[in-house]
Amino acid sequence: MRLRAILAFWAILAAMPAACAAGSAEAPVRVVSMNLCADELVLRLADRDQVLAVTYLARDPRGSTVASEAAGVPVTRGLTEEIVALKPDLVIAGAFTTRATVGMLKRVSSPVLELGVPADLDGVRAQIRQVAGALGHPERGEAMVADLDARLASVTPATKPLRALVMRPNAFTVAPGGLGDALIRAAGLVNVAAEIGRDRFGQVPLEAAALANADLIVVDEAAPGLPSLADTLLHHPVFRALAREGRTVAIPNRFWTCPGPQVAEVVARLAAAANEPGPRP
Amino acid sequence: MNAPVRTIASPAARPLGMPRARRAVIAVLALAVLALTLVSVAIGYAPFDVPAAFADLVAGRTTLPAMVLWELRVPRALLGSLVGFSLGLTGAAMQGYLRNPLADPGILGISSAAALGAVIVFYGGLAASLSLALPLGGIAGAGMAALLLNALAARGSSTLGLILAGVGLSSLAGALTALALNLSPNPYAALEIVFWLMGSLSDRSLDHVVLCLPLMLVGWGLMLSTGSALDALTLGEDTAASLGVGLVSVRLRLVTGAALAVGSGVAVSGAIGFVGLVVPHLMRPLVGARPGAGLLPSGLAGAVLVLAADIGVRLLATRPELKLGVVTALVGAPFLIVLLLRNRGRRA
Repeated sequence: MRLRAILAFWAILAAMPAACAAGSAEAPVRVVSMNLCADELVLRLADRDQVLAVTYLARDPRGSTVASEAAGVPVTRGLTEEIVALKPDLVIAGAFTTRATVGMLKRVSSPVLELGVPADLDGVRAQIRQVAGALGHPERGEAMVADLDARLASVTPATKPLRALVMRPNAFTVAPGGLGDALIRAAGLVNVAAEIGRDRFGQVPLEAAALANADLIVVDEAAPGLPSLADTLLHHPVFRALAREGRTVAIPNRFWTCPGPQVAEVVARLAAAANEPGPRP
Repeated sequence: MNAPVRTIASPAARPLGMPRARRAVIAVLALAVLALTLVSVAIGYAPFDVPAAFADLVAGRTTLPAMVLWELRVPRALLGSLVGFSLGLTGAAMQGYLRNPLADPGILGISSAAALGAVIVFYGGLAASLSLALPLGGIAGAGMAALLLNALAARGSSTLGLILAGVGLSSLAGALTALALNLSPNPYAALEIVFWLMGSLSDRSLDHVVLCLPLMLVGWGLMLSTGSALDALTLGEDTAASLGVGLVSVRLRLVTGAALAVGSGVAVSGAIGFVGLVVPHLMRPLVGARPGAGLLPSGLAGAVLVLAADIGVRLLATRPELKLGVVTALVGAPFLIVLLLRNRGRRA
């Protein structure tokens, strides 16, 4: 077993320079994605036979916007042994996930592309272009960016700058300065999270959330399936009362999670909810 | 050791003979529970005008402050006192019944078993269709643990033997809770074990109070009714039986009472440890060694302890909020160690 592993290891090392040299000239053909957000872009931008594996998260429709595309693609849990065994010529990873594996892959000078976390829409556009370029399909990246911009342009921003507060499971909110904050602003709304006491992870005490007196409370679309305390928090009587006043809007978490064309959907839904005539104070 | 004998010898003459000191202790503790409940309502994370919110509430105006007061602050304060009373009372009753100074629903594994029952019911989706299932799950878990411990005690386990059995039961229930949470397909479930093992009262609702209050009241009644029997039991089971104590009835009332009070409490607040261990020991110097006399004061002192701990976690500037069990363990664990050392010293 050990001998074979060592042989495989050397085989990869030997193949590396060739792959790297080829990588700049032509498209990679053995792409492995190790991050849900990378999965979403890779599955949309690459040819199907370029993609060797994505993460197991990509198949979960609760968190992934590419669950149907990922259905036939092999998945990994991002463990070093899994990735090395696949002999990838391009690994796309998140800058903050599966760090141990990424460190190991870098040590064997495997070609790794690390994706940052964009903080605004320009960052989203740049990341789409970056991934498309690495996959050898820059024209698809341009098309995706154009599609995103067209969808954003078709949104009528909120006519009044309503105050919005995002509440996710476990009472997490969208902290100011991130992509979610940029999406709220793109919809013409004001992110209340900046005003209220929240910790550095963006967790808000329920009473602070209620007393913030937001015009619009943005909750996760009720996830079907078995319950958790984190989810039931969003069904607290305080939120039910606010929902009765027409102050809540539900947007599935998967649209917020990753930078991609789906973020336009968030902006559209936020703006639509804000422009909807309702019994709002 | 004179006091219990004198009291037991004339059980019929006892009702009016509540010593003045004990009455004073109960009155002071009751006032403290009331005061801390009000403080608990007044304390929170957002600037909040309690009198104005109260005025809105009384006038029936559904303003935001009134809603926060009624749906968040009041339930939290009420649950603090209810859960604290249950734990303190159960601890005192079990220490009296098992004649074991280390008995406590947390240490004996009753709380963990209750958490296991509640976890299975909640994450299995049963509580979503029938909300009463949640406290019933906790009660089933607590009841099974209490029955098991009772059987062990009946076989004549030593003080430490019973505690060790409780430690084993507690670990087993904790492990099964972790297993159940990890088996849940909900991605958040596995991270929620801290709530079930350490307990918290944050962001509870009035629904939780309504669910557990009636069950707790029955449990309290059952346990408080064993007072004179527990006094008699200090003389040994045979003597107690000769004094007319129905041992089976006492056992049944205690097990059912503990299961109802602790089970429904843990189902809504998680397992908060050490309360039932500490308060009976604190009450004994004040109200005397008679277990019956310590029941009500211990319940009240338990409420004081949990309310104070819950006010403490909100005043500490930690986010996410510290779990309640952390605070009670900071007080209770050193206390347990001292008790164990003293216990050993006495025997040597």
